[in-house]
Amino acid sequence: MDKLTSDDAFELGNQFRDTAIALGDWRISNLSCLSKAQWDELDEREVMLLNIASSIYTAAVGMVLQDSQAALTRLQSSVESAKLAIKHIATLKQALDLASALVLLAGTVYSGNAAAIPGAIVALEDAAEAIATPGEPSE
Amino acid sequence: MICFSHTSGRYLQALATIFLVSAVSGCASFKEVKSFASLSSNAASHGALTKDYIGALDRRKQYQPEKFHAGLDAQKVRREAQRASLDLLQQSVTDYMQGLNSLATGDVRPYDRSLKDLSSDLNKATLLTHDEKEAVGALSIILARAVTTVYRLHEIRKLIHDGNQPLQDVISATRKIVMKGMIADLQIESALVGRYYDNFMLAPDNPVEPVAMALAKEARTEALGRVNSRIQSARSYDVVLEKIAQGHQYLYDNRDMVGNKEFDRQLKPYVDGLRGAYRNLLGGSP
Repeated sequence: MDKLTSDDAFELGNQFRDTAIALGDWRISNLSCLSKAQWDELDEREVMLLNIASSIYTAAVGMVLQDSQAALTRLQSSVESAKLAIKHIATLKQALDLASALVLLAGTVYSGNAAAIPGAIVALEDAAEAIATPGEPSE
Repeated sequence: MICFSHTSGRYLQALATIFLVSAVSGCASFKEVKSFASLSSNAASHGALTKDYIGALDRRKQYQPEKFHAGLDAQKVRREAQRASLDLLQQSVTDYMQGLNSLATGDVRPYDRSLKDLSSDLNKATLLTHDEKEAVGALSIILARAVTTVYRLHEIRKLIHDGNQPLQDVISATRKIVMKGMIADLQIESALVGRYYDNFMLAPDNPVEPVAMALAKEARTEALGRVNSRIQSARSYDVVLEKIAQGHQYLYDNRDMVGNKEFDRQLKPYVDGLRGAYRNLLGGSP
């Protein structure tokens, strides 16, 4: 026999609930034919059925919770990634590196120090690439 | 000033990179992504529902003979054991949306404060004139903001790509619990309440007392109304979850357009739909 799924369990709960409600409707529509003892006995059966249905729903909710564990773990991992990305934005050292590299380049250009310019350009390129290229940002 | 001939190629390439980054970031618009994420993070957690699901067992005692109370207590223990997991399902969606909101908001203020240090460095650059220092400082700040925006855009798209499937699964599980579990269980409560007052009014051998009957009828209507408003609230929450799932699916399907102003306009109906559903939930909460 296949394992009971949460959907099966919910459906089973519905059947118990609907049966209890149908019994109650029958009891009321036939109240003139029932003695007090019969009325009470039927009433207790209905309560029992409704409580059983409620217990089945509780069990089915547990099954859904168990089934959703994998998705929950994956979602939490995405949340961690977002937090990490936010942390990088808050302390984005690379952006400051880039700004500093730009200052260095501007300084070398205006000072006429031709020998220092290639190094300043490389520093600027590296800093810009480190930030703009998708990948692991460094702090 | 020197001639750029030796290095002009690399210099221009570097400048091109800078201007490209600035141009891309200059167009980026996250307004509706931000609204969607902020609304979702507020609307995704509905702690009252879990509380109500567990509290239902105590409420039902008044409508049942005492011999059933021990069974209700045992069931309450089982539901209490589910509380943390139920809260976690909702909280995970909230956390995810807060992450998306923070990325879309991209608080650059602390970053601007850090850049103020740059002005002291610039003052030490004695070879630059005052105007040149001002210009370099301003450009550096613009550039730094621009690369931050490009980084945020990349991270937002990555988050939406990685997060969509688990988010859809978690929302789907929560909706199943709400619709098939909690609402179905509230329908049981409705049957119990109706049965309790029907017994009082209709049971054989009960004396017919018109005043007592009228009071019982009124109490029945009120009690059923309370259960019904709980059911309505749970249904409203389900609609909120549905809107969050639909909005995020749209983000995922069009993630390459995130940051684009046209995309922002297209996302707006999803944000408006979610806002309406959330208002309905807040207005109808018992």
